[in-house]
Amino acid sequence: MTLQYDDPIIELYRESFPDFARMVRRMGGSLEEAKDSFHDALLIYLEKGKAGTLQLHSSPRAYLLGTAKICWLHTRKKGAMLSLPEGFEPATPEEPDTEEREKKLLDSLQKSGKKCLELLKAVYYDHCSMDHIAGRFGFKGRRSATVQKYKCLEKVRKEIKITEIYAQ
Amino acid sequence: MRSDLNEIAQIDQYLFRQFSEEEGKRFEARLSMGDALAEKVEAQRMAHRLIRLYSRKKERDRIEGIYRQLLEEPAFAHQLKTIFI
Repeated sequence: MTLQYDDPIIELYRESFPDFARMVRRMGGSLEEAKDSFHDALLIYLEKGKAGTLQLHSSPRAYLLGTAKICWLHTRKKGAMLSLPEGFEPATPEEPDTEEREKKLLDSLQKSGKKCLELLKAVYYDHCSMDHIAGRFGFKGRRSATVQKYKCLEKVRKEIKITEIYAQ
Repeated sequence: MRSDLNEIAQIDQYLFRQFSEEEGKRFEARLSMGDALAEKVEAQRMAHRLIRLYSRKKERDRIEGIYRQLLEEPAFAHQLKTIFI
């Protein structure tokens, strides 16, 4: 039985991934590699869609397959000359110290202010309207939601400062 | 809005390049006058980096969840099995 879901991304995944997996297999790659590159491409597609910068010249499926192929070639270091879609930076290894510091900060923020992080995600990553955010998080209106957004940013900034002080 | 929250809003405008040329110049002049504001700008830049890290992690988890759900569909799982047999 085929499961039914409301999320259009699920249908896009279902109809695109097997073709991409076949392509990767032909090029000598594994299922895990195919999945990782496909997820990178899906992330690019979703982020660009949310930011309103997605420029589709063909179908979402064709965009996804093309982007996933570039991502896969990048991971194989075969695609140094291929460019990723505008605005997307391929993952580059961070300095171990920076990565560790960011991980610690994020852990601490998730413990102390999960609601704030969710609100900030909705504003800056999902690009939701302040009216939508007010409704979702239970604020009186867009003004209260905006004030809360800045209070949350202030909270994150303070956490960063405290962590830096302890690190010194 | 509290004045310190107004300042946070202004730093956001600076970081996301939403200032007019004139406003941008005024803000940069304030930045060059002392370390306190510069420190706040750097902390806010880092805050946005962390928000992005958190959000991407959540989105990747969601995508991984979709993959796992689809693997429970016999037709989908069979397709992948025949490709990588």
